[in-house]
Amino acid sequence: MSDVGEHIVTEPEEDEVASAALQRSRFGITGEVIALYAICVFVALAIAAICVAATGGSWVNVYTAILDGSIRKPGRWGLTLGVSAPILLVALGTVVNGRAGLVNIGQEGQLVMGSCFASYVAVRLGGPGPMVLIIAMLCGIVGGAIWAGIAGALRYYRNVPEVLSTLLMGTVAQNLMGWGLRKPWLLLAPAAGRANRNQVSEPLNSHTRIPRVTWFGNEFPISVLVALVLCIGVWVVLDRSVIGFRLRMLGRNPKTAQRSGVAERRYGIGAMLVSGAFAGLAGGIMLAGGDFGNYQLVANFGAGIGFAGLLAALVARQRVIVLLFVAFLFGCMRTGTGFLTATGVSGRVSDVVQGLLVLSLLLPPAILYVRERRRALSATSTRV
Amino acid sequence: MTPAADHRAGGLPDSPPAAEFVEVSKRFGRVVACDHVNLALHRGRIHGVLGENGAGKSTLMKMLIGLILPDDGHIRIHGEPVKIVDPIEAARMGIAMVHQHFSLVEPLTVWENVALGDTGRLDPARIRRRVGEISEQYGLEIDPDDRIFDLTAGMRQRVEIIKCLRRDPEILVFDEPTSVLSPAESEFLFAALRRVVEDQGKAVALVSHKLAEVISASDEITIMRDGKVVDYRPTAGSDPATLARAMVGRDVVLRREHAAFGVIDDSGDGAAPVKQPVAQQGQPVLRITGASVTGRDGRVLLDGLDLEVHAGEIVGVAGVEGNGQRTLGDVLSSLCPLAAGRVEVGGQQVATGQAGAMAGAGIAIIPEDRHDSGCVLDFTVAENIFIADPQRVARRGLMNRAQMNGMASELIEKFDIVCNGARAPMWSLSGGNQQRVVLARELSHQPRVLVAAQPTRGLDVGAIEYMSSQLRAAADNGVGVLLISTELEEILDLADRIIVISNGRIVGGMRRDEVDIAELGLMMGGAQ
Amino acid sequence: MGNFFHAVGDIATNTSAYRNAIIVAVVLLFAASGELIAEKAGTINISLEAMMLAGAFSAAIGVDITHSVWIGLVCACVAGFLVAAVQANMSHRLPADQFVVGLVLNVLVLGLVGFLTSSIKPKSAVVRRVKIPLLSRPPLLGPALFDQPWVLYLVYPLIPLVWFLIYRTRWGLEVRAVGEDPNASDVSGLHVNKLRRQTIYLTGLLAGLGGGYFLFARAGKFEDSLIGGRGYIAIAAVIFGGWTLKGAIAGCVTFGLIGSFVLTIPSLGYQGIDPAFLAIAPNVVTIVAMAVFAKRVRQPGALARPFIRGLK
Repeated sequence: MSDVGEHIVTEPEEDEVASAALQRSRFGITGEVIALYAICVFVALAIAAICVAATGGSWVNVYTAILDGSIRKPGRWGLTLGVSAPILLVALGTVVNGRAGLVNIGQEGQLVMGSCFASYVAVRLGGPGPMVLIIAMLCGIVGGAIWAGIAGALRYYRNVPEVLSTLLMGTVAQNLMGWGLRKPWLLLAPAAGRANRNQVSEPLNSHTRIPRVTWFGNEFPISVLVALVLCIGVWVVLDRSVIGFRLRMLGRNPKTAQRSGVAERRYGIGAMLVSGAFAGLAGGIMLAGGDFGNYQLVANFGAGIGFAGLLAALVARQRVIVLLFVAFLFGCMRTGTGFLTATGVSGRVSDVVQGLLVLSLLLPPAILYVRERRRALSATSTRV
Repeated sequence: MTPAADHRAGGLPDSPPAAEFVEVSKRFGRVVACDHVNLALHRGRIHGVLGENGAGKSTLMKMLIGLILPDDGHIRIHGEPVKIVDPIEAARMGIAMVHQHFSLVEPLTVWENVALGDTGRLDPARIRRRVGEISEQYGLEIDPDDRIFDLTAGMRQRVEIIKCLRRDPEILVFDEPTSVLSPAESEFLFAALRRVVEDQGKAVALVSHKLAEVISASDEITIMRDGKVVDYRPTAGSDPATLARAMVGRDVVLRREHAAFGVIDDSGDGAAPVKQPVAQQGQPVLRITGASVTGRDGRVLLDGLDLEVHAGEIVGVAGVEGNGQRTLGDVLSSLCPLAAGRVEVGGQQVATGQAGAMAGAGIAIIPEDRHDSGCVLDFTVAENIFIADPQRVARRGLMNRAQMNGMASELIEKFDIVCNGARAPMWSLSGGNQQRVVLARELSHQPRVLVAAQPTRGLDVGAIEYMSSQLRAAADNGVGVLLISTELEEILDLADRIIVISNGRIVGGMRRDEVDIAELGLMMGGAQ
Repeated sequence: MGNFFHAVGDIATNTSAYRNAIIVAVVLLFAASGELIAEKAGTINISLEAMMLAGAFSAAIGVDITHSVWIGLVCACVAGFLVAAVQANMSHRLPADQFVVGLVLNVLVLGLVGFLTSSIKPKSAVVRRVKIPLLSRPPLLGPALFDQPWVLYLVYPLIPLVWFLIYRTRWGLEVRAVGEDPNASDVSGLHVNKLRRQTIYLTGLLAGLGGGYFLFARAGKFEDSLIGGRGYIAIAAVIFGGWTLKGAIAGCVTFGLIGSFVLTIPSLGYQGIDPAFLAIAPNVVTIVAMAVFAKRVRQPGALARPFIRGLK
């Protein structure tokens, strides 16, 4: 009751100022914004450098190694592309549920589920390689979609906050994979061909792997191109289509959406399914793409790609095109570690750099928002 | 002392006013909300602050309780210039405010709410005792251990007042206190107020846009317009017409303008012609039978509600806030399914609670809270116009922005919406213009029924007038209009037929031309 | 399945099973009691995990340098507080999304701790058990509750303290008000985001302490997998308990018991139950409990809704 009132009471004043603020933001604070981002990124990198230096490493070597490992040395950017593709896919899915106003933070689990489904089918299904591959990828999609869909259904039918259910189900998926990798009838590879205690799945045979191409001396799976196409597709659907329009409406104002014919349940659960599907597909191409191990599942197969994708989407603030760059940047953070061993600094440093970077990238929009808000409320004693 | 302050010191020349605004100004961006305002609150008097929405009276009072800082000028408390930086500081100086919309935390108990905002050790026994004392002293009976969400609007306001009185403030501000009260509850409130002033010698500011209630309850009146004080006079001997002219800045002739100031006109001979009752033959365009809704917490929100609206008539649903109006609006917005009963439009049953079904059946709605279910603030004006049928500007599922903005621009012109074009974000519009966007969208679909829930709440006189004429025009075009309002004056002004909602059901009704205000008041108060 | 019931029977009479259950329950309880207060104020701190991990790591560093467990615990509190400070100020001073900040902090702290342990190897050990006379006498429950590493006993005064704080102090009342209706609280003169930040600071102190406790009571040696998702389980316990202290304790004990199954079953020689199922049990139980009760249990009205004046 009272929050309704707030609006009405403050209306005349705030609207005026809001439009004044709008005009300001249209003209020329871009320089300020860029400076703010630059400062934040610089501080993040500096803190990471201090951490390295404090433990006796050389931060120059670390940053050089990350750069070498991700793009500079021959053949590395192809690898980075291969690693970025699943990050991009997960992030695309995250944008979809974000537009619908839903928070999915269980991509890691959805990705794992996708990879398990894909692995199970790819290893068992006979037939021509490409067909098996495509069916396996579709199963991966289904696996991820189911896992996210459960959370969506619980949200709309049982009022369970999707943030919590996706979070909790993430761990469940990882443990289920661990269990599957102990059961020969599920995922565990036959005893022949694996070291005794290793819990791994049977590798995909060479026909059911995603073909790899070589451009300018850099090799990567064609799933990278698929991811790019999907990226454009998601952009068109979300920003240009009626469905995207309605999804945004649902995210911004569910009641208005319901009144205007956007069924909350259908669109909401749909968005979760799509989100999970992208994560599942990411799991599938990780398995069949060849940049993540030996075309087989191992314990901890997800390797944090689901989280990386989630963070990428959050840093890009739901803008599909920005995602491309962020996903590649995050890919660099991963492949960059490949050359770290030579510097004697633990590969974990890339997690630190990545975490600090993300944290620093969250700051500028928040600061700008507060500033705009302050201006809008001008001298009222703002206690944000 | 400024000259303005001089001439009002009349009553008690010796003691300085309890609170005084001296040349206080406040601007928000380009808008001057308060422009060199002088105003004094004296002990033992009720000071009515009268003005339209947006005249600056709320801003002024927010400065007094420290929610807003003045840009210029200063405030004196008992003659001493002070700086009030937040509500806690204001409380320390003996200033308290009863807010227009309650500042109560619903799941907490009465005494817990009363204790909020205090400092020091929490002593439940002492607070309960204090609640008891105050409720006895002023006749505001209440149980300190009740939870707020179990209380009616009138009871909640008692809590709000007790919360205000708990620290024995010298200066009390009431901001639009009657907007959620039934006529009987309003009378009770003013009686209690009078006791507070006479027994305790407190200074009271009564902020309102309702002329009638200010005249009946206050000792002196200050009128504000466009942020300036335009008139100050003792209440005794003031005549409503002069005050109304001062408020709006021109002569007030229309009956609906009188309605906007809360002047009930039951003579039936106002300037606007009372329409002949429309022949109520054949099928109604909207018929609701036996509608029942139970809330999530088990409370009955609608209890077998029946109503009919015929083409071309305006049916006013009068009632005190919180008697099911919101739920009725929700049902007609497809936001809420019926547990029992049915909704028919033109004789066809419409599925309730199914997304878009009501809109599809031809029910247009101007919702009670447009930010809640009427528009999407982050969308552009054009997008807001097409939220219900984006297909109209889409080909093969892809939207044509140029076409959408073009068509929106036409409507913007037709409905006289003030904005920076079709691509301006909705939040950059003023409340009145947002309301026009909603109206433009709803009317552009050629509806059979138009539901207007509190359509003029928070709007200024010009906007109210516009809205009223649009509703009337819609009815003249053969649309059945259902006007849900808590402002009886508004309903009396517009409706052809009046029905009263109480406790989730329609308890009675009468034609406009045979209206009996006393009986309406009784029905609104819950009497059958 | 018969196997399962035998296992349950054996565990029900196994002293160390109870002891393990309580040890795990208590680490959850440290974190959950803080998180409960924070959620009462309307915030959700996914970064609980990071606070605990930072606490455990700092406790190890502290004890390695000073050889004092007390100083180790203080270090743990400080580290938890630092993580909380980032969370609180980014999401409740600046308007960054609380879940995003929480997740990033989890990734960052895990990375940081992993990175640091690769070059620093702090030495620490389990503290000695202290038997409380009389109280530890009754079989099974007695030793589980009162014959434990002494750091565990810190939780006993904590529980009534938290209850008192929430339900008997002005601060607690304000915290509850802010979590139910920030707008009304703001108009009443409460500093909504300041109160929320305070609850998160407190959560950081307690979760950090919990991390330190776990190092000294159970692990002995620090590893970066020490907390291993228990922060999430603590959040689950708060929700499972329907945002009441009693419920949260019940949740922690339940999840502690389940956790002790994981440890005890292999030691009793049972192979039938895959550890994966025990590991996911708290999560599944919480999801099912939410699905069954979510429509009946009242969560704080403004849970996870940021407060910015003038916005909904």
